[in-house]
Amino acid sequence: MSFQIFLILALAATATFLVIVISIGLVVHKALHSKTIQRQQKLYTEYSQQVAEIILQDLPTLPEDSTASGRFDQYEILLAPLKDQLEKMTKGRRSLHRKAVKLALIDFARDVAGETSDRLVYFSYSLGLVDDEIKLLQSKNWWDRAQAAHDLGVLRARRAVTPLAKGLEDEHPDVRIQAMQSLVILGGVHSLETILMKSKNLSRWTAIELSIIVMRFKEEAVPFLIDSLQSTDQSIVLFCIEMLAEIGFVSAVEPLRTMARDYPNTVIRAKAIEALGRLGDERAEAMLLELLRNPLPTLRFKAIEAVGRIGIRSALSALETRLKDGVLQEKILAARSIAAAGPDGISLLTSLKNAENEILRGVAQQVLEESRVEPSVA
Amino acid sequence: MMALVEILIEIYFYGVIAYFIVVNMSYTILLLLSYREILYYMRHNSFSDYRITVQSELTPPISILAPAYNEEATVVESVRSLLKLNYGKYEVIVINDGSKDATLDRLIREFSLLPSNQVYEPVLETKPVRDIYKSHKPANRNLVVVDKENGGKADALNAGINVAQFENVCAIDADSLLEDDALQKVMKPFLEDDHVVASGGIVRIANGCEVVNGRVTKVSLSRKFLPIFQVVEYFRAFLSGRMAWQGLNGLLIISGAFGMFRRDVVIEAGGYNHETVGEDMELVARIHRTKLEKKEPYRVVFVPDPVCWTEAPESLRILSRQRNRWHRGLLDTLLIHRKMLFNKNYGIVGMAAVPYFFFIELLGPVFEFLGYISMIAMLALGILNVNMTILFFIVALFYGVMFSVGAVLLEEISFQRYPRARDLAMLLSFGVLENFGYRQITLWWRMKAFYDYFVKGVKTWGPMQRTGFSRGAT
Repeated sequence: MSFQIFLILALAATATFLVIVISIGLVVHKALHSKTIQRQQKLYTEYSQQVAEIILQDLPTLPEDSTASGRFDQYEILLAPLKDQLEKMTKGRRSLHRKAVKLALIDFARDVAGETSDRLVYFSYSLGLVDDEIKLLQSKNWWDRAQAAHDLGVLRARRAVTPLAKGLEDEHPDVRIQAMQSLVILGGVHSLETILMKSKNLSRWTAIELSIIVMRFKEEAVPFLIDSLQSTDQSIVLFCIEMLAEIGFVSAVEPLRTMARDYPNTVIRAKAIEALGRLGDERAEAMLLELLRNPLPTLRFKAIEAVGRIGIRSALSALETRLKDGVLQEKILAARSIAAAGPDGISLLTSLKNAENEILRGVAQQVLEESRVEPSVA
Repeated sequence: MMALVEILIEIYFYGVIAYFIVVNMSYTILLLLSYREILYYMRHNSFSDYRITVQSELTPPISILAPAYNEEATVVESVRSLLKLNYGKYEVIVINDGSKDATLDRLIREFSLLPSNQVYEPVLETKPVRDIYKSHKPANRNLVVVDKENGGKADALNAGINVAQFENVCAIDADSLLEDDALQKVMKPFLEDDHVVASGGIVRIANGCEVVNGRVTKVSLSRKFLPIFQVVEYFRAFLSGRMAWQGLNGLLIISGAFGMFRRDVVIEAGGYNHETVGEDMELVARIHRTKLEKKEPYRVVFVPDPVCWTEAPESLRILSRQRNRWHRGLLDTLLIHRKMLFNKNYGIVGMAAVPYFFFIELLGPVFEFLGYISMIAMLALGILNVNMTILFFIVALFYGVMFSVGAVLLEEISFQRYPRARDLAMLLSFGVLENFGYRQITLWWRMKAFYDYFVKGVKTWGPMQRTGFSRGAT
């Protein structure tokens, strides 16, 4: 029995220990968290004021023949008190205060432009913050790398372009995305060349992030997107096709036509066909009509949709065949494309409302209902 | 004879201790795994800008499925809230499962619905669909109401899947409230990894919270005891349990109140099973089974952040029905998929998740109940070591408290949805208090579930009374 008591006591001791550890963890976390927040907030407020003062301070006009270093000397004079202040601190304290300075600089950097922005960039370099962040890009913690990649962009640290480009191949997606966004801040539309060249296996999330960037540049991005259609990475090719269709620039039609016809990969061919439909260029019409008879359903479905988007009247007969012979999904797509062809299409669908085939009848009714905006009363 | 009794008591004692150690070790491991997963999630989340899903054309559309049965008190407010979600393109499919009250009439009136001719392929077998309704108001054009004969929640969801137009379907309870960005967050795993086939969001209890226009605007605890006990339970189940299992890709439950699925995968698995009351868990178990048998890579994930608010039962009678149903659902699911138990062909699911749910979640109440019975029997026979029993109870209490405190800690280091220190103190206190009475009551309900399942053969949901958020949860 003594062993049993020992066992129970051991369990009791373990439980007590764990309860105490977790409870203390909870209390300590709560206390430390609020204390850290308060402290950081206090430091941040102090340094925000200090940074605001030095970025808003008027500087004497430089002579016309002065070099950039003249301006930098002025910046250095502005920064001297802050640097002295940090220099006098112990190592641990300095690190905490530098962090607060960095946060203040980052916050201002988001909102300023012109000479004020130049000042902030200079301050970041001069205080060694840029070098610190570049070093952090090598950290073994992905979150430190991602944060550094983000901050380097906000701080407009051009020195970081090469390490950030390397970050596009990082193992963690968040680092890749942050590097991508920072490169765009630093290099503008031209950074797309590097991004599209170095990125591999884009997830849909990353593609969405990148699409927001591309849509900021629209037509300016088209040459880079067309060049990247040659990429060996399927996700990049799909992304470029999608973006070309979204931007709707006419120079994309020819390369897309070639891809829709000859590309060895069916998924990419289908995407190119879809893009041609969205571009709505008549040069694609003949090829799309031919694709309506393609034996591969993926390509045929996309061609049906594309024909509908363009609204090709001469496709009515081929579409009617697909409506009658296809599976349900194909029937619905074909009916929608027939409706998109205009009054002839609508009258064809109206005549099918009384068709003997129940599915055909239903599809015609559904699409007529969709094209009228308001549902019909059955 | 006495020697034999002593040996039997000794064996019993060591059996109890062994089970106790296994259970608590499992909980401890799950707690630690959850801590790791939540930390990862919080860091990962800090780099996510969910607004992009609203801005980009590449965001895949979603079909929201909301089955409704006799939900006239809450259905309009819930649908309004669903129509206002912050997401790119989505449709809301409300499936009126043959309600006997005015659910359909209220929907028709409030949303100006008219019968529609929508054609769809009935890939999953369901009870007959009477009509499909759509609104003639442009603002409600993404609302579809399917009116069908009563067939149960699973049947309604299957009808919704049939009608759904998009590749991802999100099953929610018609009486639940989603936060504005909930869809964006629960959808993100699908966008990050093509292998994700299902993703569940956290369900939180709305009792005590302020609800305005179908949105929870102020989070606080209810003034009633029962909902607070359930808040602590939900923390343990979601933050400490599901978070850990998703890290191991062994998550067996995605709450029926809020789960996103790839439509083709649900259809491939055969849709929701209408022969069980645990259709949400059964579907996830079947998806695991289907994918593992086909040896296809897949992931079932849990996202602790997208919040779905639900109204928790405030009466013992309703709560007992809910717990009874949950336990019958668990029992049914594990019996249906018993082939996976300790079967190494099913990987972590077969070797860890199913055994955990079988021996700890399902049979835990049975062992605990037997413990109480044997204690009474030994007391009657005069062979109970009272000191030892008290000591054991204290140990068990400490472990129980530890896991409750651990779950509250997870909430505290992550989302801090209960901002007031008073609420935190209340949650911790209820983590202790639940061991005196509440735990025993829920134990009884779960024991009764075995009786109902095996002896009475009960396979129905039982009525669930709704009061409506505007009155009930404010």
